[in-house]
Amino acid sequence: MRKAIKAAFFGLISMAFVGSAIADITFVSWGGAYTASQQKAYIDTYSKGSSITVENYNGGLGEIKAQVEAGNVTWDVVDVLPDQAITGCDEGLFVKVDQSEFINDMVVPPVSDCVVPQIFWAYTAFYDKAAFPGKKPKNIKDFFDVKKFPGKRGIHTWANALIEMALVADGVKASKVYEVMSTPEGIDRAFAKLDTIKDHVVFWSAGSKPLELVSSGEVVMALAYNGRIGAAILSEGKNFEYIWDATVLEQEYLVAIKGGNEKEALEFMAHASTAESNAEQAKYIPYGPMRKSSINIIKKGEPWFITSSGNIDILPHMPTTPKVLKRAVIGDPVWWADNGAEVHERFGAWKGS
Amino acid sequence: MNQTQTSTGPILTTDGIPLKVSLKKAERINKIRAFLLVLPLLAFILITFLVPIGDMLARSVDDRQINTVFPKTFEVYKKWDRQGLPSEEVYKTMFFELKNSEGYSVGKASTRMNYSKSGWKSLLKKSKRKFKKIEEGPFKEQMIAIDKKWADPEYWLALGQMVDPTTMGYYLNAVDLKYDSSKNIVQQKENRRIYNKTWIKTFKVSLLVTLFCLLLGYPISYLLATLPMKYSNLLMICVLLPFWTSLLVRTVAWMVMLQQKGVLNNLLVMSNLIADENRFQLMYNQTAVVIVMTQILLPFMVLPLYSVMKTISPTYMRAALNLGASPMHAFYKIYMPNSVPGVSAGCLLVFIIAIGYYITPELVGGKDGQMVGNWIAYHLKTTLNWGLCASLGAILLAMMTVLYWAYNKIVGIENIKLG
Repeated sequence: MRKAIKAAFFGLISMAFVGSAIADITFVSWGGAYTASQQKAYIDTYSKGSSITVENYNGGLGEIKAQVEAGNVTWDVVDVLPDQAITGCDEGLFVKVDQSEFINDMVVPPVSDCVVPQIFWAYTAFYDKAAFPGKKPKNIKDFFDVKKFPGKRGIHTWANALIEMALVADGVKASKVYEVMSTPEGIDRAFAKLDTIKDHVVFWSAGSKPLELVSSGEVVMALAYNGRIGAAILSEGKNFEYIWDATVLEQEYLVAIKGGNEKEALEFMAHASTAESNAEQAKYIPYGPMRKSSINIIKKGEPWFITSSGNIDILPHMPTTPKVLKRAVIGDPVWWADNGAEVHERFGAWKGS
Repeated sequence: MNQTQTSTGPILTTDGIPLKVSLKKAERINKIRAFLLVLPLLAFILITFLVPIGDMLARSVDDRQINTVFPKTFEVYKKWDRQGLPSEEVYKTMFFELKNSEGYSVGKASTRMNYSKSGWKSLLKKSKRKFKKIEEGPFKEQMIAIDKKWADPEYWLALGQMVDPTTMGYYLNAVDLKYDSSKNIVQQKENRRIYNKTWIKTFKVSLLVTLFCLLLGYPISYLLATLPMKYSNLLMICVLLPFWTSLLVRTVAWMVMLQQKGVLNNLLVMSNLIADENRFQLMYNQTAVVIVMTQILLPFMVLPLYSVMKTISPTYMRAALNLGASPMHAFYKIYMPNSVPGVSAGCLLVFIIAIGYYITPELVGGKDGQMVGNWIAYHLKTTLNWGLCASLGAILLAMMTVLYWAYNKIVGIENIKLG
């Protein structure tokens, strides 16, 4: 009996060792067209031995913190927003990464020591062309003007980008937005502007929802992640039109969770963040690569975007072209890491009142 | 045998031990065996239920995160009179403790400090980076030169809330109060008051859902209990089928049903009952939460009601009618009092589930349908303010306990019947 137990015990241990030699990776991202693009661009092509399981989440560091604190880490690589990349790195939830390979090839410097570059994405206003047979909305002022363009607006349930857009709609220059936001009056001003559309909004929290709201006519305009709008236009033939004004540009990174299969995670992240992988992803979703050299790869390769009926030029759908950048707000994750909690609470009070 | 019958001493077993002792022994073994049988359950409850609740309660008052990073600073800080800016000594200790801190302690502390005053996070991070180059004082001027926030008394006053290793701050926060700079309890700034409203809303929605569930569930259960078997079985399946369907599927189905361009509004417009521009706003608000939650929680009302009604003998009602009571009167005097255990069980069950509901308000609640559960999830996931989550949860728990107590006083818990 004893012998049997002993044998079973050692068997288990050796299994654990064998297991760790070719540990599998759990890759966690946002789902939908976005995860699909990651899958095709660099998960399917990964051949270093680890098999990769994909899971979805809705952002936030809650689950990650819970896993790390409980010492039961089941996620290995996670796709995170920049302010979470900062907080998570500071709190020791993420593994520090060797950034020498890409640090000089980035459009903006990485926000923390724990990240590898993914993409730029943007909060963009859009509408269905059919909803406005006459005059069409052209800028963010029109989005906030319910007299000129009556109808409901779809907006997300958190404050990021809404504050920035409200200020631009109120006449603040895109480049001066965060300066204004750093004063208490600036935030008041943004909320006053939000008040003007308050009775005309429908909230969404999942990225696919605004497309559905606009398609069904539930709202006439909505804010959405630009890649989702692009995917709907390019792959599903939707009749949507972007409002490339006060587009709020956000960064997206990959991180490895401390206590997970760190070695395999870092190997995979190195593969996922090459210039080629970054460019490859744009074949399936119109987000802007963070590496300068990826943009050159795409320019040379146009028509880059793959659809069932042939390839299409992708650059007009990118949030990082000079034309869009001229009128865009570059999101400031440091400001949000600092002031997010307070502004979100106020936003919650605004929503509920 | 003879001996034991004739003597006046204690009854003995064959091996000379008093029968009482022997019996006790046998019983003890049985008791231990019974206890061992429930031990896994006990351990399970302890590990999965009591320990987490204890942990939650501890988190709701725990404020050590930052005390472990700046212990010396707090010592000298306590001597400060809270007028103007602190002395050079406070700056100096802060400087060295920040500069020499290792690992991720500062990152964690700064997250906590940001709850008291936004801006600490970047201030500490930037300062720690720049402190490396500074070796000698005076530190006050040099720190202010690095970032002028160090010259803002607001930041220093905010530190005062974190000096003690425990805090009531999270609980205050959960009811829209806060400590001001001199530790008096004051109301939260008006544009940040959300929780009291949310508490009231949560109660209101839960009460409405319970009420509607009762109004809808009572007749259904009555039918279920009184109809002949072949009909009541069919009806039971109608009640249970949605119960077995995924919560998400049902919620999304309601979205399709109720939205402005949804099935219901389309039907009303098509049949010319309402004009196209007057479509009802039934989705993404509190109404939607009440409607959808009522449908989802209805089985929790019907099942206990049904199981109690099934036991009410039809002869009671017949007897009442025979004795000359009108049907209404008989129902009111005989049937209703007999069904009270089911009503209370159903109401308590529905209310308890409703008050902590999260996913339905999140999906259909829109701007005014968010309940306490949604805020807990928000702070859990996004702001990482777990202290606040814990205090919100603890208050929910306390409210349920009070409710249970009041219920026990008024109705009596032995009157509850789940089946």
